[in-house]
Amino acid sequence: MSSAVSSYVATLMAYLAINGIACWALNLQFGVGGVMNFAFIIYQALGAYITAVLTLPPAKTLADETYILGWHLPWPLPLAGAAVAGALLALAVGSFALRPRRRDFQATVMLVVSIIAATLVSTEQGWFNGNQGLFGIPQPFASSLGLSIAGYDWFFVGIAAAFAAVAWFLTARLVGAPWGRRLRAMRENADAIESLGTNTRRESLKVYVIGGAIGAVSGGLLVEMIAAWSPAAWGTGETFIYFVAIIVGGLGNGFGALFGAFLVLGVFLELPTFLPQMSNANIEESLQSAFIGVLILVFLWWRPQGIFPERRRRLSRLLSTADREAAVVSAAEAARDRAVDTGVAAVLAEERAPAPVQARASATLSVRDLRVGFGGVQAVDGLSFDLLPGQATGLIGPNGAGKSTALRLIAGAVRPQGGQVLVDGTDVAGWPAYKVAGLGVIRTFQHTSEFGKLTVLENLLAAAPRQKGDSAAGALLGPRHARRRQQELLAQAWALLVDFGLTAHADTYAGQLSGGQRRLVEIMRSLMAEPRLLLLDEPMAGVNPTLRLTIEEHLKRLRDSGLTMLMIEHELSSVERVCDSVIVMAQGKLLATGTMAELRANQEVVSAYLAG
Amino acid sequence: MSQIVLSLGFGLVTASILALGAVGFTLQFGVTNLFNLAFGENMTVAMFVAYLAMVTLHWNMWWAMLAGGVAGSVLSLGLSRLIYLPFLRRGTSQFAMVMVTVAVSFIIKNVLQMFSNGTYYSYQLPPEPSIHVLGMVFDQRQLVIIGLAVAALLGLHLMFKYTRLGKAMRATSDNGPLARSVGIPTERIISAVWLISGLLAGLAGVGLAIDLGSFQSVTGGSYLMLIVAAAVFGSVGEPYGAMAGALVIGIVSEVAAIYNPQLKDVVAFAILVLVLLLRPEGLRAGRVQMRAEVAV
Repeated sequence: MSSAVSSYVATLMAYLAINGIACWALNLQFGVGGVMNFAFIIYQALGAYITAVLTLPPAKTLADETYILGWHLPWPLPLAGAAVAGALLALAVGSFALRPRRRDFQATVMLVVSIIAATLVSTEQGWFNGNQGLFGIPQPFASSLGLSIAGYDWFFVGIAAAFAAVAWFLTARLVGAPWGRRLRAMRENADAIESLGTNTRRESLKVYVIGGAIGAVSGGLLVEMIAAWSPAAWGTGETFIYFVAIIVGGLGNGFGALFGAFLVLGVFLELPTFLPQMSNANIEESLQSAFIGVLILVFLWWRPQGIFPERRRRLSRLLSTADREAAVVSAAEAARDRAVDTGVAAVLAEERAPAPVQARASATLSVRDLRVGFGGVQAVDGLSFDLLPGQATGLIGPNGAGKSTALRLIAGAVRPQGGQVLVDGTDVAGWPAYKVAGLGVIRTFQHTSEFGKLTVLENLLAAAPRQKGDSAAGALLGPRHARRRQQELLAQAWALLVDFGLTAHADTYAGQLSGGQRRLVEIMRSLMAEPRLLLLDEPMAGVNPTLRLTIEEHLKRLRDSGLTMLMIEHELSSVERVCDSVIVMAQGKLLATGTMAELRANQEVVSAYLAG
Repeated sequence: MSQIVLSLGFGLVTASILALGAVGFTLQFGVTNLFNLAFGENMTVAMFVAYLAMVTLHWNMWWAMLAGGVAGSVLSLGLSRLIYLPFLRRGTSQFAMVMVTVAVSFIIKNVLQMFSNGTYYSYQLPPEPSIHVLGMVFDQRQLVIIGLAVAALLGLHLMFKYTRLGKAMRATSDNGPLARSVGIPTERIISAVWLISGLLAGLAGVGLAIDLGSFQSVTGGSYLMLIVAAAVFGSVGEPYGAMAGALVIGIVSEVAAIYNPQLKDVVAFAILVLVLLLRPEGLRAGRVQMRAEVAV
């Protein structure tokens, strides 16, 4: 191998390692966390600039080159500086760009950030020498090693590979831990995971900052390899090349991201240099960019999951036969206990049902004068009621009565414009949803809200509180740290699957289940969140009659086990079978309360339904 | 002071172009729920078509403008039929749809780039006498742009308020499934929205090219960011919010340009950041929140 070829191969390999790091960073943010970082390239750019100005000596005032810092630090401090700078920039950008709930808004804000950053850096001559950029950046140990050019190139491959190994290890740990599962759940349905107690804004910011730091390190390595850096190297379009790489490779799959980096950034962008020279370099570049667009369309159409799809995690394999048998026994015991309870409950039925006023102090939930309006429509208009502990209460009323809105107000998904929501005496009105969920107020959704690309078991585990390894720091401690609690939770989840008859689907993606099965997953998931109060928004909507009866049975058993529930439901016979008492809403207001039998006798209620 | 008044005039012109674009963008988003990052290329294509009409075919400015608008319309409907709708029918996720529009933008921009090879084009309009209005200075063409924007937006307002089509659009935008269930032919309404938003993009594009004096294959794409800023400012999906956003961003950025022309975009961006910090979903957020809940 001639030294030129050897040098070329080495450069390609180092380039692949560096781009692999970048792709893992973006994959962590977008592929796993669902954060569409359209500003990705500015983190790489910042890392490169910071590494350069921390490596270079102070700017020579006589030469036509100006830049900040110039600290002349020894390797690898400049790269550490790059990581810190990347994290800080991500913190700053994320603190406003991640505020809108819609991710396409977030993405666009980041795109704007990227364009503005490019404008600022190229016009502010004093920062990083404007459009000319920085050059002549010394390579690590280049002067002290005394290697040949090809020799040094191979030495640098070693450096890049070492960093890639560390980045692989870190991202794999983060993704593999319970925290990674929470991130994937957030990617699938942010509102749902928020309603189970996750502060999605904060978790998005975390994954954004970690990705920003890793992206910056990739930029630092890049500038150490090519020894020069200018705005031309990081146009906004470059971000999309990284996106194409991870989409083609396979979103959410670390190996896929690396393969995408190899295919798109290595083969595809390097290949044209081997083809006969075109008459015009600009045309060649445009052709390449247009082809990137075609590649996106082709993959999103024919293979949206990429060449190496995200790995399905078959968690049921972690359960031994003994674990499973134990779960079956505990599910059976629980069922027997409930059966006994039901017997007792039948005896106590009279005490249970109508006990409205005297127990107000001990109410699990007290709603007082709750109100909210949307553009002139008063959706909830001075609603007040109490839920007593251990009671199942139905919430009924004609379409547009404000039932779902009331539920969302209680759960913190919509901010009330007035009134109080007292959970065990604490006023939670205006709290964000994740904080309300933290008190054990768990809500299900009118439209199924399963985490589609998570298995059923993962859906359940994602909802469980107090997991080890469920934070970025905890995740880095590795699987052993989290294992014991995971096994407990798996056993608990398996018992639920036994109870609900879904063990056969434990490792199926929840998105592939039937509508009714997805409802079951949602109910099981909310039980894993250890609810004190369960808010069910039409739990039987769109479910076939047989499964409807099954769901009813489960809800009845939950009621008998002492769980407080509030359930919106249109099918009055179901309400009658499941609920102790019923609240009727009409036009945002409370119309009546009582048992179903009492309400049937109430002329006002009957006419409201007929009128509605 | 007179300088500020002068730039107020520029600001009005910019605001007019922005308003055409932002209302088109936001209308499209409100009804189709698609965050269309290829919207800028719609503008660019219209610029090129108007160029062909004016410079190659020697049409007058009015007809050329119309040709640009129609081109924008046709392209918009065509892309929705050939690309966006099929992807949506396949159940492509919201994120992936944004990537689809990015891909379309890449393809159009770079195909234009290949043919134009980075050339700047100009409509070669003859110089015109300037007109003084309240201390502001315009040339006739700028007045035409302002007039066009006012007429288009007034027309839209009347359509939203008084015509069946306009009301159906608002209904579809508020709650698509519900609109369909009460018998509104949402498919046809959505097609109409693609046509109208494409027309607005086309007019904004030609207006921009006239105002700038020259354009190239990336002009529309880079201008999209200002349009998005105006749309986000007023809560995306809210046409009246977008008009307000266009006015604020247009005027503030031109006034800022007195101090440093480079600041123009940066100031627009600063406004955007401020709005996001104070009202993450934009100024008219209440209704959008409700819609997001319904759209799940």
